[in-house]
Amino acid sequence: MIKIKNKSKRGNVLMENIVFIILNLIFLTILILFLLKQGGGAIILEQAYAKQIALLIDSAKPGAEIYLNMEKGKKVAEKNNVDFKDVVKINKNIVMVKLSEEGGYEYSFFNDVELDKPYPVDEETYRFKIVRYKDE
Amino acid sequence: MNKVGADKMISVYWFVILLLVAGGIFAMVYVFYHQPYDVRELEANIMINKVADCLSSNGMLNYELIKDAEFSKEFKTNFLKKCHFNFDVEEKWESTQYYIEINFYKIEDSEKSVFEISEGNKNLISSCETQEDKEYDLLAKCVEKRFYSLEGNNQYLIKILSVVRKTEKNAK
Repeated sequence: MIKIKNKSKRGNVLMENIVFIILNLIFLTILILFLLKQGGGAIILEQAYAKQIALLIDSAKPGAEIYLNMEKGKKVAEKNNVDFKDVVKINKNIVMVKLSEEGGYEYSFFNDVELDKPYPVDEETYRFKIVRYKDE
Repeated sequence: MNKVGADKMISVYWFVILLLVAGGIFAMVYVFYHQPYDVRELEANIMINKVADCLSSNGMLNYELIKDAEFSKEFKTNFLKKCHFNFDVEEKWESTQYYIEINFYKIEDSEKSVFEISEGNKNLISSCETQEDKEYDLLAKCVEKRFYSLEGNNQYLIKILSVVRKTEKNAK
């Protein structure tokens, strides 16, 4: 009788520990997923790409061809049903990056240049070609 | 309190600590990712490089800058066009978000400017004066650089001040 009691007590302790460990693992998983989601969200990526492209154009001279890897952006755009070729648009001197149907981020550049229409050259790379200075 | 009761209390405390840690991490991540990337200083530096390339090449002043032994007023008037700048910005701002000021000094006297070119929103200079001792994110970013250039036998010191505001998109 004493032996059976001890066994069931040991079983309880083991069960409690397993539940405790599982809950901890669930907690850590949620935390890691939250961190990953925050860093790779459409809003953050749109801002990063728009600013990156604007700065690249600012520092470029006519004739320059810029190839930008946008692998992460492509994944997010696909998830949000946005065609990769519509992700980057340049209107006058404003870069617009759109990775979700509702969103989009704009950033201006001061280099007064004319660009070819930006387009993806392969699965994950965008090409920007600076043709000439305006009024030249 | 028996041992099982004490163990359960420890578990509760453990979860309270986990919740506190999670709250802390959530707060830090929220603050970090909701802070926009501040690229104004980079922009100001690129602007200065572009101005320097326009004013001087291979250590010699741009030939369009000096006409008949005097600094060209035409160059000053058409500075933005000559150096290929476009200060238009997004619709959310009504005023220009850039300011650029260039001062030319003779090498003998680096106090008195002999020629000055400025373009953009002059009101932004006040941000530079305020930030002489300490930088504030909500004010415009100012960068100043200087270099020397030759024109015939004359040597000039050129100081370029570049100011970029765009605060709403770069700081919170």
